[in-house]
Amino acid sequence: EDLFENEGAYRQVIAGVYANLALTGTDGAGSSNIEGIDAGTSQFGRVLLYMQTLSADQMIWSYENDPGTREIQRNIWTAQNPLILGMYSRAHLTIALANNFLRETTADKLDSRGASESVRQDIVAYRAEARLLRALSYYYMMDLFGKANFGTEADAVNTVLPVADRAQLFDFIESELIAIEADLIPAGANEYGRADRGVAYMILAKIYLNAEVYIGENRYTDCMNYCQELLNSGYTLATNYKDNFIADNNTNSAVNEIIFSIVSDGSTTQNYGPTTVMINGSVGSLEVNGVEVGVVQNGWDGALRVRKEFAELWQGGNFGDDDRNTIISANRPIGITDIADRDTGYIIQKYSNVTSTGQAGVDQTFVDTDFPLFRLADVNLMYAEAHLRGGGGSLDVAVQLINDLRTRANNPNLISSTDLTLPFIIDERARELHWEAHRRQDLIRFGLFTGGSYNWAWKGNGSNGIAIPNHFNLYPIPNSSMSSNPNLTQNPGY
Amino acid sequence: TFFGQSKVTGTVTDEANALPLPGVNILVKGTTTGASTDFDGKYSITVNEGDVLVFSYLGYSKKEIIYNGLSPFNVTLSEDAGQLDEIVIIGYGTTTRKDATGSVESVTAKDFTKGNIVTPENLLQGRVAGVTVNTSGAPGSGSEIKIRGGSSINASNNPLIVIDGLPITNDNIGGSRGILSSINPNDIESFTVLKDASATAIYGSRASNGVIIIVTKKGKSGFSADYDVQFTFGDIADQIDVFSGDQFRTIVNSQNLPDSFTSQLGSANTDWQDEIFRETVSAMHNVTVRGSLFKALPARFSFGVTKQEGALLTSQFDRRNLSVALNPSMFDDHLKISVNANLSYEDNRFADSGLIGAALRYDPTQPVYDPTSPFNGFYQHTNGGTLLSGTTNPVASLLQTNNLGDTERFFGNINFDYKFHFLPELKAVLNLGFDETSGWTNNNSVFATTDDISANKSVGFQNRKNQSLDGFLNYKKTFGDIEADLTTGYSYQRFTNDGFFSGNQLDPLSFGDTYADPDIVLIGFFGRANFKFLEKYLLTATYRRDGTSRFSEDNRWGNFYAGALAWQISEEDFLKDSETISDLKLRVGYGVTGQQEISQKDLFLSRYQGGNNNSLYQFGNTVITSLIPSEINPDLKWEETKTLEVGIDYGLFDNKISGSLNVFQKDSEDLLFDAPVPDGSNFSNRIIQNIGNLRIRGLEFTTNVDVIQKEDFSLNFNFNATILDREITELAYGQDVTTGGIAGGTGNFIQLFREGEAPNSFYVYKQLYDNQGNAIEGAYVDLNGDNIINEEDRYLRADPDADIILGFQTNLEYKNFDFAFNLRANIGNYVYNNVDSARAQYDLLQDNSVLGNIPTSVLDTNFQTTSDVINSDIYLENASFLKMDNITLGYTFKKLSNVIKSVRVWGGIQNVFTLTEYSGLDPEVFNGIDNTIYPRPRNILVGANIKF
Repeated sequence: EDLFENEGAYRQVIAGVYANLALTGTDGAGSSNIEGIDAGTSQFGRVLLYMQTLSADQMIWSYENDPGTREIQRNIWTAQNPLILGMYSRAHLTIALANNFLRETTADKLDSRGASESVRQDIVAYRAEARLLRALSYYYMMDLFGKANFGTEADAVNTVLPVADRAQLFDFIESELIAIEADLIPAGANEYGRADRGVAYMILAKIYLNAEVYIGENRYTDCMNYCQELLNSGYTLATNYKDNFIADNNTNSAVNEIIFSIVSDGSTTQNYGPTTVMINGSVGSLEVNGVEVGVVQNGWDGALRVRKEFAELWQGGNFGDDDRNTIISANRPIGITDIADRDTGYIIQKYSNVTSTGQAGVDQTFVDTDFPLFRLADVNLMYAEAHLRGGGGSLDVAVQLINDLRTRANNPNLISSTDLTLPFIIDERARELHWEAHRRQDLIRFGLFTGGSYNWAWKGNGSNGIAIPNHFNLYPIPNSSMSSNPNLTQNPGY
Repeated sequence: TFFGQSKVTGTVTDEANALPLPGVNILVKGTTTGASTDFDGKYSITVNEGDVLVFSYLGYSKKEIIYNGLSPFNVTLSEDAGQLDEIVIIGYGTTTRKDATGSVESVTAKDFTKGNIVTPENLLQGRVAGVTVNTSGAPGSGSEIKIRGGSSINASNNPLIVIDGLPITNDNIGGSRGILSSINPNDIESFTVLKDASATAIYGSRASNGVIIIVTKKGKSGFSADYDVQFTFGDIADQIDVFSGDQFRTIVNSQNLPDSFTSQLGSANTDWQDEIFRETVSAMHNVTVRGSLFKALPARFSFGVTKQEGALLTSQFDRRNLSVALNPSMFDDHLKISVNANLSYEDNRFADSGLIGAALRYDPTQPVYDPTSPFNGFYQHTNGGTLLSGTTNPVASLLQTNNLGDTERFFGNINFDYKFHFLPELKAVLNLGFDETSGWTNNNSVFATTDDISANKSVGFQNRKNQSLDGFLNYKKTFGDIEADLTTGYSYQRFTNDGFFSGNQLDPLSFGDTYADPDIVLIGFFGRANFKFLEKYLLTATYRRDGTSRFSEDNRWGNFYAGALAWQISEEDFLKDSETISDLKLRVGYGVTGQQEISQKDLFLSRYQGGNNNSLYQFGNTVITSLIPSEINPDLKWEETKTLEVGIDYGLFDNKISGSLNVFQKDSEDLLFDAPVPDGSNFSNRIIQNIGNLRIRGLEFTTNVDVIQKEDFSLNFNFNATILDREITELAYGQDVTTGGIAGGTGNFIQLFREGEAPNSFYVYKQLYDNQGNAIEGAYVDLNGDNIINEEDRYLRADPDADIILGFQTNLEYKNFDFAFNLRANIGNYVYNNVDSARAQYDLLQDNSVLGNIPTSVLDTNFQTTSDVINSDIYLENASFLKMDNITLGYTFKKLSNVIKSVRVWGGIQNVFTLTEYSGLDPEVFNGIDNTIYPRPRNILVGANIKF
């Protein structure tokens, strides 16, 4: 209670809710407020990247002695997996922090503390943002696990929470995001590091696009509406594709494209999050090209590579000059038959810790590069997909939006309306949005993740890929999470 | 009959060697009149003829003699093997071994383990059943002390250590090697180990893991002086086998490495372990003077200097101790005051033992020095002048690191022991204790790196304070056949801790940090009643109520109690005259003790934590100190351990054979355990909760045998055996919890807590072997039969704790020679060989961009890839061992002159041998995971003790 006598504390506490997306603890990148997983690995964007990208056809992690990675990238995970635990717990921690903020900022509490008018003004937006971040967490829980421990500010700390299923979560996310719209700061207008209406629109567009998966309903029209809302919100594509993925992506032209990012700073916001991992990890074992991307020469010695199927998306001559194609293939076979052999398989250089003016980041391990969780290019692609799936909009606009991305990437091969098909969309999404934690969700929506219609390298634990059962469309509820909440039941198949 | 009072004088000598015994207590039986002998064994006392004089001396048989009127009245005392009348220190008072109802073992100076003892706990090593002391090879290093394996999982497993009435903290301080390393073993008079609940319950809240009571040496009225010196010459006995330069060239060339690696092979043959380890010379000097100041104030002064070199290059431990004990008595001995003050300075230079790993890894075909090197003349892997990524030269790292730690510790107590004038049966004791340690660390190092920051300069300071006040009343009186001994008291203790660390001052991104822990306050009220009926039946009841600041007001107080019954069977008529059985006592005790020592100090409070300078968030263009609420558990309460023990103390053949046998079961309930909470309901996914049960069952056996006890020839041995079994009987939600982090992978672990199993059981894959018995790389048994090898196929096998622990010491004295050695064995302890599991694979011949050495054990497995094999049970080994820790031989020159009373010269060997099947360096590791330990050197010792 003493804390809030200083009214600046409200801003610091809402910053704490945001911080849980970027940081794992309060004492540096090696500290963590959740357990059962390596501290640095428990960063929100990192586990999200593992869940959505490492589990699919774009990425390989060379060091399978890092617990959980082997099972995720070979699709043989179980409820013991620490990375799955990390995802479940980290996202729920945001929910707990948001609920705490909402409990501490009720009208009654503000009255009793005699809060000033100016801080009450700020708190309106802060509360909306706390609800937004809570909805964001529930969105990922709905997508990855199909259920969540369902707590709101009405639930006291340290209680056993009820469980919401996919449909209940869908309803909650939808109604919350619509309810807070007025209180949120207009899209693109909030200060750096905070979320605004654009983020709410983005989550809504995403849940409507995937509504057939989540609740078996066709909501493409709703998706289209929010895509249009976003396209009309003043966002513009960054001048260069790579501006989105470099050290100054918080100040360069990407600020107009990135709708929400996970903050990283080599000095003040150090984390082992997705950008630190991808920039250090994609330094090649043969290339030793760390200095080029602003980290130590050898980076993490070839920790990350791409799978054959992703590499093949760039073959065929049309993508030689495409800025999105950052593949380095010299002296490397395209296939990976031994995951531990870091000299096989191609590597990419999508992310970098160097600014648009060529300055290396302040630290050679912890990068300055923010992780673009949502960006406008995804809206372009969602628009086209929603249109193809019967959500309305215009075909010409859809083609134009795709070509805008290609033009921005300096790829002269523009598409025509006949090229715009769903199979094209899933591939183009991979080319535009690879390593941005979308892939598993996209493959599931296209029916390609489980089953045997699309077998990528190491899917199902075979070097050439084998079918996996449908229950892998959802992750299992981690054992310890389930045991501590008797209301939870395990997902079928696990 | 009336006899006239007279003043009698006399001399008390040792029956065995006729040397005078200083400090013998003499009491006129049935009165409070007493005296003690001076250094020359002389005493004087006022007695009536016909009075019974009681002569007692620690370690000697008590003698009761009717005064016959003669003067001088000379008496001889003989050493008592059984030590039935030995005074045994128990919490807040004393008893005798004969009257003890609990499991209490004491070890006094003459029984201490002999050898190169730098830190006090090693005096106890292997001496007491159920007590294990595991010390690293680093100079002056701290130890892991456990009594009966430890009764907790996430809360502390350390015993409570009480020095002269002051319970000390288990938390070490920056700059020091350990909580006991600043204490001079030479100042210690005795250790008493309290093991069962009936003995420990008087310390209630902190007694679950047993109590070690240390009493320091006191002042005596007779003058004596003592100079003790010892030199130690150490050398590493064994190394981990890695490839030599020549072997390495062969292996690298046979492994199909890219040219960029094979071209790096050098022509040298460097044994990097030889380069980082050294032969050491260490010395200890102690000077002790005892005597009466101003002929009235018994005092003891001691000064000790210890200088110990570590086997690892540059590591060093220096200590200076000054200790003063004053023991005045006033008002006709009604008020006894005891003042102990100890000042200690510890100067350390720390060497990073992680560099042992670097030495195993470093390319043996490269030289240590390279005159052309830009890295201060040390060879480093470079390419065109740029450093290549990979392990850096460990000799360079050691020599270019100057990591110093200096601590200053003052501890001591003042004890007032007042026997009421009007009621001599009642005494009041007040003990004030103080312990303050300040530690400074200062690190200046240079390292080879491609980073911009190639040096570290940091300083730190830490201060810990521990203040205690204990007061109690004790009433002792005999009512007919009943002897009553009643104690009641109050205890208060406060611990503080604060300090700062500068961070690397040469790194603009590194920040300093100042911290101050919340104070810990512990308050206790206690009472104990001892009754003895007919010299045969003993009853003890103990109660303690404790409060801790670690828990909320509602849960703060815990009640702990114990009761014990003992039956001195040998006092019964049917045994009283037995020639065989000289002593037989049956004990039964039950009690409940508590545990509150967890690392969090205010988990029950709602708190917010701000990020440090690297853990901030950004709003707009400014960084903001984000505040994150900390995990909270307002319901936290005491963990309780219930102990049931049945014991027999025995003595045979006039106590030539004596010892005890204990059987016990400890059940720790409401374990303070780090267990999952429903996600989203708290500010973490696991918090410390009172959940789970741990059961420890054990059997302890001790025997002391006086084989020969003659004037010129004595031989005795002590043997102790412990059988111990720890099992988690209940865990939160029946849920497995991973533990035991290992090298090789980020966040990799090898152990598990699981219901029904021993804590820290190893969690491994079951290795598959081909027909020839060779392990197949990465092939494991599909234990759940689902055709997929994943986490579900790991199984639990063995645990790090020994099932059986044995200790054996023997002392032989023949004329002026003395000879002693000790043996220690652990049976059934398993070790996970992390040195091999994370290193012995051919892929690791590539160390980032350079070549790296690997253990030769790779030849046994031919394994290629670490990640395929690291969790295999092939690396889990039975590490049972038999060790001879020390062997010493001494010769004493007696009565050399009027000034020099005696000179003993001696020599010995420490770490004589280890018999084990374990393939790693040393089977005795911490927590069952062997990841390059600081090796324990073999030491040759020579020393002398001169008495004046």
